[in-house]
Amino acid sequence: MADVMQTVPILEVIAHQAGLKTLVLPRILDAAPGQFVTIWVPGVDEKPFAVSGDDLETIQITVKAVGPFTRRLLECRPGERIGLRGPFGRGFTLMPDSLLIGGGIGNAPLRLLAQRLTERGLRYTWLVGARRAADLPFLSDLQRHPAVRLFTDDGSVGRPGSVMAGWTDALTASPTPPRLVCGAGPEPMLLAVREAARLHRLPVELSFERYMKCGIGLCGQCCLDGSGLRLCVEGPILTEEQMQSVTEWGLPHRGPSGRRPAATPPASRP
Amino acid sequence: MNPLAVTVAGVAFPSPLVLASGVMGLSASSLKRVADAGAGAVTTKSCGLEERKGHPCPSILPFEHGLLNAVGLANPGVEEMAREIAEFQARSPIPVIASIFGRTEAEFGEAAARLLALVRPALLEINVSCPNVSSEFGQPFAADAAACARITSLVKARADGVPVAVKLSLMCPSIAQTAKACAAAGADAITAINSVGPGMLIDPHVRRPILANQVGGLSGGAILPLAVRAVWEIARAVPLPIIGTGGVTRPEDALQLILAGATAVGIGTGIYTCGLEVFGRINAFLTDWLAREGLRSLDALRGAAHHPPPAEARHG
Repeated sequence: MADVMQTVPILEVIAHQAGLKTLVLPRILDAAPGQFVTIWVPGVDEKPFAVSGDDLETIQITVKAVGPFTRRLLECRPGERIGLRGPFGRGFTLMPDSLLIGGGIGNAPLRLLAQRLTERGLRYTWLVGARRAADLPFLSDLQRHPAVRLFTDDGSVGRPGSVMAGWTDALTASPTPPRLVCGAGPEPMLLAVREAARLHRLPVELSFERYMKCGIGLCGQCCLDGSGLRLCVEGPILTEEQMQSVTEWGLPHRGPSGRRPAATPPASRP
Repeated sequence: MNPLAVTVAGVAFPSPLVLASGVMGLSASSLKRVADAGAGAVTTKSCGLEERKGHPCPSILPFEHGLLNAVGLANPGVEEMAREIAEFQARSPIPVIASIFGRTEAEFGEAAARLLALVRPALLEINVSCPNVSSEFGQPFAADAAACARITSLVKARADGVPVAVKLSLMCPSIAQTAKACAAAGADAITAINSVGPGMLIDPHVRRPILANQVGGLSGGAILPLAVRAVWEIARAVPLPIIGTGGVTRPEDALQLILAGATAVGIGTGIYTCGLEVFGRINAFLTDWLAREGLRSLDALRGAAHHPPPAEARHG
């Protein structure tokens, strides 16, 4: 049973830029691109993470420091044991002529998707966006990758500006429209991708995040308002049809108690 | 005439299958999804006076033979839960059971009053039996029949006519005696059982308990025989409707609880092992079963494993 907790030694820690590392773990499970696993740091907590790559013997989890748990996880050294469960949820469809759009750490699950598409000889274009170069893991690989177009807000690498600017170019540069748009990143970016895909009548699969406790569809924490979709079971990759059944887009996310914080009013200007 | 319709404390359920508390019960949309899947009633996550984040994770831990959980009564607080209940009621005709808990006996009454000031659920369920907050709350009230009776009275006094079910634990000297004490204090129904234990699982490599709370309640198929026995004993002890809960995954499991004396059957962990389809599948099975037996309702099956039958009037 893959849902059962197993602890494994960390085989290798790849340091990227500050606050950004990839943990290499034994391949005790097979995750499809977009599926997630949970990582338990004994005595600390357990959180969901996307798988960012694999080979015959290892899987890779790319972690960005965003809070106490991820900061503690990034202090783990090779040989230290952490818990690993999964995979959970449903992943991306492997489709020829896919257009991948990633924002920041959202490029981690897309890295495994790109790897799978490459392994199967399926063509794709991958628009990689970030605020700055320092937010991108595996940057030198990305710069050499023939299917990748890089964008940073501050222009520190690739083209300056939003990854969404690459959208129109990607559409006009290709003789045929993409058969599937796959996105992962901050939710405002994903909602912009969704809008653009609707405009161009392109199918989308987008990777969303919510606070989760169980990963197995029981605790109710990640049930989305509207149809009550459980993001950990029916997601985390959602299609347009699934997104249409959800009414909470744009609202603050429910927290560990299940309460949804009040929407913050727009900042008033003096 | 719907052959699966049952009545619990005067409330009509279109199916005996009830979403047990603690599972998919935090929001109106989640409850609605379970109602649409075929539940005859849905129970909210237990809520208390204050918002609680619950224990850190791992808090829900599957293993080969079931599930341990120590969510730790995470809930958004009664007022927020009342809003979710009101939204559910606007979107679904299925009865909703509001589960409440308190850190002290008095808090149960206050939680009931504050909830009912905002919304009127079909039933209130008093959770005196959460097995995974003892480091914080002390031993569950369910271990003490007199405490359960006092809490029942306190909630009944504030319930404004809404029927009250008490959710009992097997972790007490006699669940039948506890049920009797609650009945004498005015309980309208008994829900039995809560998850059992608590239990513990240790990772041998890191030499630590896996649950952040160290211990957690055991649920899943393995506890079905405990639930069947508990329902059996309660049915012989009190003339109250019973929401039999614990370990139901197969349709025959639900039937066993009914034959032991349950009017309704709770499902929780079964959603994990069988998917949300578990409600539709058991409903279809029970409908076929009644047709094959030439019965028009579940009444003739309720408590039918007792020879002689327990006292009458089990579904008022």
